[in-house]
Amino acid sequence: MGNTKENANLGLIDTDIHERVMYEELLPYLDQPWRRYITDAHWIQEKHMPYTQPAVAGVDRADARVPDGRPAGTDLGFMQEQLLDSLGHEIGVLTGALDPSPSSMHGWYEMATALASAYNDWQIDKWLDKDERLYGSVHIAAQDPAAAVKEIERVGSHPKMVQILLPIDDILWGDAYYHPIFEAAEKHDLMVGMHHNEPPLHYGKWPKYFIEWHTLIPVSHMNQVTNLVFNGVFEKFPKLKVMMIEGGFTYVPFLMRKMDQQYKDLRHEVPWVNQMPSKTIREHFCFTTQPLEEMTKKEFMQILEQMGSEEIVSFSTDYPHWDYDSPTEALPPKLDEELMRKLLSENARNFYPKLQKKEG
Amino acid sequence: MKEAVKEIVCQEEDLQPGEMMSATFGRHDVVVCRASDGHYYAFLDRCIHQGAELSKGKICGAPEPTDELGEYNFQREGDILRCPWHGREFDIKNNGCMLANEKLKLRNFKVVVEDGQVALTK
Repeated sequence: MGNTKENANLGLIDTDIHERVMYEELLPYLDQPWRRYITDAHWIQEKHMPYTQPAVAGVDRADARVPDGRPAGTDLGFMQEQLLDSLGHEIGVLTGALDPSPSSMHGWYEMATALASAYNDWQIDKWLDKDERLYGSVHIAAQDPAAAVKEIERVGSHPKMVQILLPIDDILWGDAYYHPIFEAAEKHDLMVGMHHNEPPLHYGKWPKYFIEWHTLIPVSHMNQVTNLVFNGVFEKFPKLKVMMIEGGFTYVPFLMRKMDQQYKDLRHEVPWVNQMPSKTIREHFCFTTQPLEEMTKKEFMQILEQMGSEEIVSFSTDYPHWDYDSPTEALPPKLDEELMRKLLSENARNFYPKLQKKEG
Repeated sequence: MKEAVKEIVCQEEDLQPGEMMSATFGRHDVVVCRASDGHYYAFLDRCIHQGAELSKGKICGAPEPTDELGEYNFQREGDILRCPWHGREFDIKNNGCMLANEKLKLRNFKVVVEDGQVALTK
């Protein structure tokens, strides 16, 4: 499966790989009393989705379960074999499994903060230090910006931490309350990665069917892009960039056009926004490809043309999840080699300052 | 006249109804399926969507199409092959056609069962 040589030649940078922790693996990284809330009180991440994933093996690829029976994404060796080695990855960016997802917790921010620290230490120990191809995301409890900044100060300077992870749930992160997080990101050459967790995007609720929710995930990404731009985040933090992960990119032309039109009419409401939103999006965002809709080359190129850029889309597999995209199969056939190099490698490298440093 | 290629891929008893296994046929990786009625079918072991190995998916049934909103009539246990990645459903007994779009189908191979042996031919 796949074309290892081709990907190696293109220097594949995969911008969405979900490593998964088993709670017991976090225990050595947790002090008391936090540890006992897992061992004695059976803490688990709150989840709200009313349906199980209707794929063959729940949320995961059926062939990604570790041969010894552990859940997909829990074993570095198996991930190396099935993904990194077989497909010729140059770099993979870890984005966690949102379990735990400290920033998604509706309360008990102290526990969330402890979990974030433990997760970061585990991630560094068990993944980033173990495979030179893997880069990581700083997990925080963003509901408490002061504690979040403290954690960013603690691990953000790690050379392999490339971004701060903010889940997309029911908080819009552009509000000034969260700006200290962006300030800390700039300080440490970190970008922000946003990945949906359980956004209640159907008027704050859940639709009847998973297919409805999953179809409209990009709406939750649009909410965040719109919110960040119109709250003046990028005027205030000019070095900051945001990777929108797992929402795809085909919604972007619509959003750019709509935001520009609105800005022409309503600039007076947001006078701190000092340029057309589409320009800000091109300068400050990148969008991961997965889950790719099936498209012809012509259709694909039309979308890029309407975005006005070939530099803000970056390939992602979403391994080991059920809606994984193969780097050798998911993109339309016969894309130009220069464009393939941008999508599979260059755009991500240019996006993350720490990856640029690696190349130098 | 070119002689027909015929290769044994498994023994009849290797598969129970509703089971599948991977095999090779010439240069092809194939998935051999035994449907609920005991008949054997074989397809290229590669999803037509993104190339996943179908033999790592699941043989199951599927809710049949209905005119009634909210009605789940799960039928044909053992006759539907679902991809291990995106879960797309293919009908083993209908040439590997995709349930959501019958214009799309898996590449299939002719199966011959003789003397307890399952063979593919072309």
